[in-house]
Amino acid sequence: MAPILEVRSAVKRFGGVAAVNRVSLALEKGRIYGLIGPNGSGKTTLFNCITGVDHVDEGLILLNGRRVDRLKPHQIFHLGVGRTFQVIRVFPELTALENLLVVTTAGYAEARRRAEELLARVKLERLAGEFAGNLSYGQQKLVEFIRVLMTDPDLILLDEPAAGVNRTLLNDLLDAVRALRDQGKTVLLVEHDMKVVMGLCETVFVLDHGEKLAEGAPGVIQADERVIEAYFGR
Amino acid sequence: MKRALPVALGLLAVALALYPLEATGYGLRVGLQLFMWITLAQSWNLISGLTGYVSFGHVVFFGTGAYTASLLVNAGMPWPLACLSGGGAGALLALIIGWPCLRLKGPYFAIAMLGLNEVMRVIVSYAEGLTGGGNGLSLPTLDASRSIYYAMGLVAAAVTAVTYAIVTSRFGLRLMTIREDEVAAEAMGIDTLRYKIYAFMLSAIGPGIVGGLSARDQGYIEPISVFPLIMTITMIVMALFGGKGTIWGPVLGAVVLFIFQEAVWARFVYLHQLLFGAIIVAVVLLMPRGILGVLQQKYNLLRTI
Amino acid sequence: MSVLITPAMVGQVVISGLLAGSIYALVALGLGLIFGVMRVLNVAHGPLMMLGAYTTFWLFQRFGLNPYLSVLVSMPLLFLIGVVLQRFLVRRVVDAPELSSLLLTFGLSIALVNLAQLAFTSDLRSVEYLTGSFVAGPFAFSKPRLAACAFAVTITAGSFLFLRGTRLGKAIRAVSQSREVAQVCGIDVQRIHLLTFGLGSALAAAGGSLVAVMVAIQPEMGQIYTFKSFLVIVLGGAGNYPGALLGGLLLGLVEQLSSLFLTAQVNEAVAYVLLVLVLLIRPTGLLKGRV
Repeated sequence: MAPILEVRSAVKRFGGVAAVNRVSLALEKGRIYGLIGPNGSGKTTLFNCITGVDHVDEGLILLNGRRVDRLKPHQIFHLGVGRTFQVIRVFPELTALENLLVVTTAGYAEARRRAEELLARVKLERLAGEFAGNLSYGQQKLVEFIRVLMTDPDLILLDEPAAGVNRTLLNDLLDAVRALRDQGKTVLLVEHDMKVVMGLCETVFVLDHGEKLAEGAPGVIQADERVIEAYFGR
Repeated sequence: MKRALPVALGLLAVALALYPLEATGYGLRVGLQLFMWITLAQSWNLISGLTGYVSFGHVVFFGTGAYTASLLVNAGMPWPLACLSGGGAGALLALIIGWPCLRLKGPYFAIAMLGLNEVMRVIVSYAEGLTGGGNGLSLPTLDASRSIYYAMGLVAAAVTAVTYAIVTSRFGLRLMTIREDEVAAEAMGIDTLRYKIYAFMLSAIGPGIVGGLSARDQGYIEPISVFPLIMTITMIVMALFGGKGTIWGPVLGAVVLFIFQEAVWARFVYLHQLLFGAIIVAVVLLMPRGILGVLQQKYNLLRTI
Repeated sequence: MSVLITPAMVGQVVISGLLAGSIYALVALGLGLIFGVMRVLNVAHGPLMMLGAYTTFWLFQRFGLNPYLSVLVSMPLLFLIGVVLQRFLVRRVVDAPELSSLLLTFGLSIALVNLAQLAFTSDLRSVEYLTGSFVAGPFAFSKPRLAACAFAVTITAGSFLFLRGTRLGKAIRAVSQSREVAQVCGIDVQRIHLLTFGLGSALAAAGGSLVAVMVAIQPEMGQIYTFKSFLVIVLGGAGNYPGALLGGLLLGLVEQLSSLFLTAQVNEAVAYVLLVLVLLIRPTGLLKGRV
């Protein structure tokens, strides 16, 4: 079966530095992948290139076999890709409900129904009319997460979903991610919290200084000497 | 309480409609101009207040509308139609300018708009054969102040109604996301360029029409009278002061500052402009959302205000 | 156009262009510094230049001070004014959404121009100091332009030496590349902002003083320089300081060249068309800047 996402020898430079250097990876449908690496290893840059916020200088990015590396972010979104951001980017002066309504082109009634359903799923119904900027960190994080789900994307990219989140909320999020996988969605997440990665991801990619260092099951990666070296130094 | 507002508005509309029956020529002109300023401030709000893209050259649509309408009237077209065409010309110009310039982030768009006014003035002066250049353009004399008063009033009401419709719709929400976080908006599937262009074109129609109406009313236009920088400054102050991004803010700002303008302007031109500059600085620093914006926050009012 | 265009004419125009461009580069460098360090587009840049020109005028009128020496007064004066403006006004909007700083400096520019109208009236002033041309072979160069260029080059070169060689200059460049990293390295970013705005204003004032000998001085004289400085920043790339130099020279060249083929009136439209073209084709600037 063709991979849902393929990155072939992607290179992205900023000034003289290659933030992403010949990275290749392939994601199969219906699995949860992790992308880890020390700070500055190029993870968010890679995310940005996949979602069109940035463009690769060399290499290809293919979504369901179709080249997307030159498309604009909104075009890639409509091909079924959703993402969250490292620093939460909800729209602060829109209410939680409006944050959800704004992303879908479905009819108003249907969009509203779906938005309310998603809000209920994360137990935020009573905050639907609250300005997103007034919500707590955890609540904003949830809104950003369900916002991604509004249009039912097939590929979901999560940038540090566990950052700053308390235990209970985190477990809810992880359960939600597993549920998505069970529905046949593909999830790629960038994460620093090793426990989360090891417990959730089926395959893990390791980046270091913009290059792919290793790829494999969590247990294997954990024991890989090169990975340990990259994180903790020689 | 909810009932009171439409009733009050209705009464106000009736009062404004009956006003010309009693008013003098001067009084009519004042009313007419007030409607014009409401239209201008409200239109500026559509692009700058909602999307956050500051348009420094918005008066260019006023001037374009003025010239388009004047040329059409001189060619025999009845003035109402000519003025509507002025609005169309404004929208077309907005499309031509917006297509390349809205691609970029805010500061670059501001730069492009800053120079636009000067360029239009130069082009109009240069195309003498068509526009009469520096000598200006005259229209056949017509005493239609009362009709123009009503026309301006209709345009002001229409622009406000359009603003209401936009702000309460998903289209308006999408415009606001551009202001809030353009990168996130793009990532969430919003084609920001397309929306910016729509907003920009919509914001150019009002000024285009009132430019035409103003030209018809004055009977004579020349480049400097229809592309004045002070007009851009004034519409910005009005929208800012009253509350950009709100529906009634620009109306409030227009009314308050118009009264102020009538009192101070004629006598102290430079002081007047200086004060406007100071008001802009003060509003940006102290109440960036304008009066209505502050009230909205304090009393947690609906966005539909 | 039936006028024959000789190589000498082209040569003359090219050199005139470079002379004029040196002033654009100087003033634009000031704007570029402010934009690069604070991401603030200083719409009031032209009015600051105008204040420099008036300083030179008054010093010349009252004390007969050599206009070129008056740069030594106008630069520190406007540096101080810039610092004050930054400290009390601009600082508050540096972290706000971009439209706030745009509107603030816009309001400021209106206030400054009209203050000047009230203080100096809109009567045209001039500084009659250096006139005539310097002839060399087939070329004739206006003396004031030559002098202005010489000073502009000196001041600009000095600025670059400052930016490259001194610790303060390096701190400025560091902040303009990354505020967070600079902070982590112990740089007092607030202080750098103050200094940069002051420095940018001083450079604008220098441009104003140099131009005072050549053009009519009136309160609105700076407006066109604001736009042209923006254009230069777009040409050279935001945050790219050497780019501002090249952009300035390029603008001067394009303007003078176009005056060969088009009337003077259309000159301003030329600058504008150039802007739109660059924005369309290469918005990051001809020399890769940061968007």
